[in-house]
Order: sequence, then structure tokens, then C-alpha cells
Amino acid sequence: MEDEKIRIGVYICECGPNIKEAINIEEVVKFARGLENVVLTKSFNLLCSEEGKKLIEDDIKQHNLTNIVLATCSPKEHEITFRKVLNNAGLNPFFLQIANIREQCAWVIKDKASATQKAKAMIAAAVKRVAFHEPLEIKEIPYQSDILVVGAGVAGISAALTLAQKNRKVYLVEKLPFIGGKVARYEKIFPTLECASCVLDPILDEVLHNEQIELLTLSEVIDVLGFYGNFIVKVKKKARFVDSKTCIGCGACFEVCPIKVKNEYNEGLDDRKAIYIPYAGALPNVAVIDRKNCLQFHGKKCNACQNACPFSSIHYEEDQIQELNVGAIILATGFDVFDPKKVFQYGHGEIKNVFTSLEFERLLSSTGPTGGKILLKSGQPPKRLALIHCVGSRTKEYNEYCSGVCCMYSLKFAHMVKEQLTDTLITEFHSDLCLPGRTAQGFFNTLSDKKEVYFVQVKNIDSIDLTQKGGKVLVKYEDSNGTIKSSTFDLVVLSVAIEAIKDAREVAITFGISQDKDGFFLEEHTSISPVSTSVGGIFIAGCAHGPKDIQSAVAEGQAAAGKILSKLIPGEKFLLEPITTEVDEDLCSGCKTCISLCPYKAITYDQEKKVVSINEILCRGCGICVATCPSATIKARNFTDKQIVAELIGLLEV
Amino acid sequence: MIAFEPKIIAFLCNWCSYECADSVGRAQKEYPSILRIVRVMCSGRIDPQFIIEAFRRGAAGVLILGCHPGDCHYKEGNYQAMKKYTLLKKVLLQFGIDKDRFRLDWVSAKETDKFIKIVSEMVEKVKQLGPIIPPQPSMNPSVSLPGGQQAGPFTKGGIKGGR
Repeated sequence: MEDEKIRIGVYICECGPNIKEAINIEEVVKFARGLENVVLTKSFNLLCSEEGKKLIEDDIKQHNLTNIVLATCSPKEHEITFRKVLNNAGLNPFFLQIANIREQCAWVIKDKASATQKAKAMIAAAVKRVAFHEPLEIKEIPYQSDILVVGAGVAGISAALTLAQKNRKVYLVEKLPFIGGKVARYEKIFPTLECASCVLDPILDEVLHNEQIELLTLSEVIDVLGFYGNFIVKVKKKARFVDSKTCIGCGACFEVCPIKVKNEYNEGLDDRKAIYIPYAGALPNVAVIDRKNCLQFHGKKCNACQNACPFSSIHYEEDQIQELNVGAIILATGFDVFDPKKVFQYGHGEIKNVFTSLEFERLLSSTGPTGGKILLKSGQPPKRLALIHCVGSRTKEYNEYCSGVCCMYSLKFAHMVKEQLTDTLITEFHSDLCLPGRTAQGFFNTLSDKKEVYFVQVKNIDSIDLTQKGGKVLVKYEDSNGTIKSSTFDLVVLSVAIEAIKDAREVAITFGISQDKDGFFLEEHTSISPVSTSVGGIFIAGCAHGPKDIQSAVAEGQAAAGKILSKLIPGEKFLLEPITTEVDEDLCSGCKTCISLCPYKAITYDQEKKVVSINEILCRGCGICVATCPSATIKARNFTDKQIVAELIGLLEV
Repeated sequence: MIAFEPKIIAFLCNWCSYECADSVGRAQKEYPSILRIVRVMCSGRIDPQFIIEAFRRGAAGVLILGCHPGDCHYKEGNYQAMKKYTLLKKVLLQFGIDKDRFRLDWVSAKETDKFIKIVSEMVEKVKQLGPIIPPQPSMNPSVSLPGGQQAGPFTKGGIKGGR
């Protein structure tokens, strides 16, 4: 900028009595008039009033002012107001500098002479700084109205279906080959004892057939860039090796597959093949090859499934990386359960017929390993069955929190056992019962009225000790009076705690969100922003942020979807932050120091030019890279080195 | 004898500490007028050369206030500020600048009393230390800035680039 072109106007706001009484306005005006490049200085009663704004606007036009210094209240109050004034007068709004002489001078200094002196320094600094100001452009780009949902359990599916409206595409990313989450493996759900697949299957079908939903199974998000309205997400899509368009799930391939492995969908209670659909009714009804066990991937020539497939659906294709542009993200990554093997006295895996609750869900399931018949390993039905609550919950040693749903599903188990085996004795060992809400107490009451259902309150769940005793399980416990007692059972179910997913930390790092001490994702505010996270545009739903029942998980999925629908309106635009950084490509040495420091991954290295470049949409203007660049090639717009040093000089000279 | 009236430069980040200084103002709590504030977007933006420049230009003390660790508006800018601070402090000591003249601390937007406490402590210590002996004029080359302003090597474009 040429010197002669700089014509600075300085305006001192009296702010009614607020500044006027604390600072000698006349003296400050006189001082400002003597400053370099200043062609006009005025004081005014209230600059933010309509008259004040008009005064500045008219002066800019009349006196050809190029830069404006306002000695007023904090820029936090009225910087935007006055930028508009400059804009209205035909000046770029960034030719403005505010000296905060109210909050940081008039209101904090009682001695008028000292306050006047400081105000002079602040104005001198602003006048020096504003001479170096450069025009900035406020760009606007459209919101991305597509949405990413991670996790195709009940929470994620409810979110996806709520979002999948006209003009909105939903990418539903699921790590596993099949959707429906844990709930798809349950036979019945509490408190209504409805058939789970009757409730769930229609909505799973809707997900599979909704044109607005693109389902990516066997997929994981590996990188997330951007912010609310504009995320760039990289998804690693592992090959299924079975064409989902042509496979009809006939099963011809499983029959010929020579490999047998434990079926994790049935909690390892039975076997599956290396090409499989884990249970009848799993959706999508498309086989998948498990590459960990398939001979093809271990250098062996086995084409048995390929030869058997009547539809030629099996192809050994490559994994893919897919890049998605989305406006918002919902994480509904679900939960894992407490591993009772950590606690020796539960004997899980050692003592026969001791099951976790998830294993027992599969034993009860008509699509499970026994077709829904409750059978011991011997093939006989149990005559005495124990349910142990709070395994891994409410104990300082493992998880201090209450998992919230174990009492209810344990009661559900008792209801379901009683339906099938009327004479079987059931004992529920608990330290407290958690039965809040509208329906839980009634659910308990109808059960406790039944014959041969006992509730035993123990002093402490950790005092329970299971041992094998002649093919049965001996349960030792300390009752509420402190008396040690014991009893034998044929089958024991451990109601294991709901825990954060095993890879919660990696997921949190990928998405840049926080976790609580137990590993669950942290909501922005427990009470008033329960499905938002600290990162704008990333929401959480379901057990991803704490134990929850189906009803709450569904509600949260829908709530998160609602939050997004009300913000991301297709076609609407948002303003980009103008205060960002830029690289001088001529000076950049390509050392890449800045790349690792950028909190927004906005800097990339251009292999061809051997320099870095900054993505203007991702850059938020913190300036960390600027302060770090050893070659001084990065400029922080509106906070350039020259501007800041000029300000320093002004502050120190007066 | 005229009492030593030092000037202290405070670099405040836009989100927590500058906001805190405004909160102090709104609460009309008093602190010494010799504190001169420079707003930056993030404490991570503070180039060590700004600090050196402030001392060279006559500041008797420099204060950096950022958001509390974990609260940075830009996730981790305050950690970057801390790294630079730790190193620069050692460099400044070698130049004879007492450790009490350069301080980094954290304040949230509401911690007005903490703000005043930090500032008051700083002012007191700097007053006790007295002025820094000014550098020789020969070591102080300067060039002309727009409008005839004088600037040191820092703004010349020689040490630093054209930003």
C-alpha cells in the first residue's frame, strides 16, 4: 500500500458517561490528530447508535477515508456492527481496528490521567496497526446436506431413517457385515416381551431399500476433516467378496466350504463356515467371506464356494477407500460387554453352563444355536437356573456406573425361561434392583408373582463365588445379613456390564471428540445437549455414550437426526471464516513442520510443487502454523506479523 | 526520584483470556494501567519474535495468557504456546532478561480475580526488577514503514519474510 493513499479516520466513543468520565476525551482527540496518516479525528456520544454509524459512513465517503480506528467498547461487542458500516460506505470491512478503551481502559483504571495515557497508547497502536490492514473476502459455500451415520444398530438406524428425507442422502457405515446391532440377536425385548425381529426387521428392510440410504457394511471411518456443514470423511470399505446385488443368500456356498470356525454372532456357541450368513434372518441376506479363515487368503487354492454359487456372485475383489462429503456425523457405535473372565470367581469359560447375558440371548433365540431351546451342554433343560446381576457394574474395581438395563433384561430372561420351562426354579441374585420409569416395576411384579422365582439380595455382588460341583454350579454368596450361604444350579447367567467399545479411543481420536473416564464418548452437556459433542456437527446416539435401553437409543438417534435436520438446510450457504492463513509458495521450503501442528489437518504437502498448501475451508485461523514456520512463509490474515508488531510499537511508544 | 513506571505487554487469546480481560472490565475491577494488551486469535499464534520485539521496544515484562489446557478453542494452540514459552524463557535468560519478566498462564473467560492476581504479581515483580538496560543504538537498525513509522529488523522483511 502506498503511503499517500492511507487516510485514517479516528473516532472516539464517549459511550454516554462510561468513557467520557474516565478519560480526558479532548486530550485524546488532540493526541490522535497528531498521529501519522490520521486525517480526521472525532469524538461522539455513542458511536453504535444509528447517528454514530451514519456519521462514520458519511465521513468515509466525504473524506475518502481508507482506514478506520474506533476507540470504543470491546471488539467483541461491536466489531461486526462497525465492519458493516465500513462495508456500507464502500470500504472493505477489514480496514477497521478497534481500540478497546472501555472494558480494557476506562472501566479498569480509576485515575483519569493514567486512563487517558493508556487510551492514547491504545489508539496509537491501532493507528499504526490499521495502516497494515489488508482487504479480506468473506466467501460463502453451500452446506453439505448429506449425512454420515456410523453404526447400524438401533440408534444409528433410527437416525438414518429420520434423516433419509427428500434431498438428503445418508451414508450408513457399519463395521460388521450385517446390520441391526446387538438387538438383531435378541429374541424378545423388554418390557413388552415383543418379538424383537417383528419390531426390528421391518425397519432394517426399510434401511436396505431406502434409496436415500447408502449402506456401507464392513466399513470403517479412517479420517475426518472439516467442520459442521462441511466434513470430508475417508471410509475404508473392506471387500465382502460376495456381490450383494446378485447373492440371494441361498447358502449353497456354506455347504461346500471346508473351514469351520466359531460363530461370533452366536457368541461362539456354535460354528459357522468361512463363507457365511451368521444366522437365519441376518440382514442383508448376503453371504460374506471371512478372510481371516478362508483358504484363498492363506495361499491355498480353494474355489469351492465360487464353484458352488449358482449366481457367480463370488469375486475376490480389493478393499476400497471411499471419500464422502457430508455436513454432519452421527456416531452410534454401540457397546461391548464386560468380559467376566477378568473375575476369576465367576468361572466363565471354566465352569460348564455359566453363560454371559449375550450368550444367553442367543440360547433363547429361535435363530440361535439351539433354535431357542434352553439346553445345558448335556442337551438337558436346566431345572435350576441362577441369574447374577451387576457383573462388572457398580463395582469400583471395574465399572462404578450402573449399566441400567441388566435388571430389566434379567427379568426378561426369567419371564422367557418361565414361558418355556414352567417348572424350572429361577433365582435372581442382586444387590439392588434398578426399576425406574413407567413400566419396570410392573414388569417385576408380574414376575415375582410367579411360582419358583426367587429374588435373593446379596450384600455385595463381588462376594459371589461360582465353583463347579459334580456337573452343577455351586453359587456361594453373602446374604444381606452377612451370612455366607450357597446353593447349586444347573445354569448360571452373568448379567455383564455394558462397556464402551473396545476401540473407543481410536474412534474418539479419528473424530476428534472426547471420552469420559470409562471410555464412553462425552456429550457436550449432560442435561441440555445430551446428543451433541464438543465438536460441532458430530453427534452421538445410543450406547456409544453410556449404557442405554432400546427406547432411549432410538430416541437419541432420532434426536440427533432432528438436530441436524433443523440446521443443514439443502441449498443454504454458510460464511467461511475470512481470518485464515495463507502460504507464500515462493518462500515455502517444504519442511512440513506446520503439517503436524495444524489442529484441523488443513495443511497438505503438494508433491509436485514441493510446498505446502492450506485448505481455506478447513483452516480456522488459529495461526499456530504461522508462529511455527521457520521460513516465515505463512501469513495469518488480519493478524499478520507486521500488524502485530506495529501494534506493539504503538503500545510501547506512548 | 521518579518511580519506575514499566510497561507490560500482555498477549491475550481471542477466546478465553481477552474475554476475561473484558469480563474484568465489565465487573469494573481495577488493575494497573501499565498493562498493554495485544489480541491474538490463539496463544499458539504468538511468535517468539513478538516477545523479543516487545522487550527490544521497551517492554519491561511480557505476559501470555491462554485458555486452560484442554480448553483451547483451537484444541491445542495453548500447548504449542507452552512449548515455545519454555524454550524462549531459556533464551531470554541468556540475554539477561530475568525469568520474572516473562510469564505464561491460563485464565478462563470468567476468572477475573485470577486475571487481576496474575497482572498484579507481574507488575510488582517487574517494578522490583526495575528497567532493562536499553540496547545500544548500533544494534538497533531500523527501516521505514508506511507512514514513516520506524520498525526494527523484525518488520523489515529481512529476518522474517513478507508476511
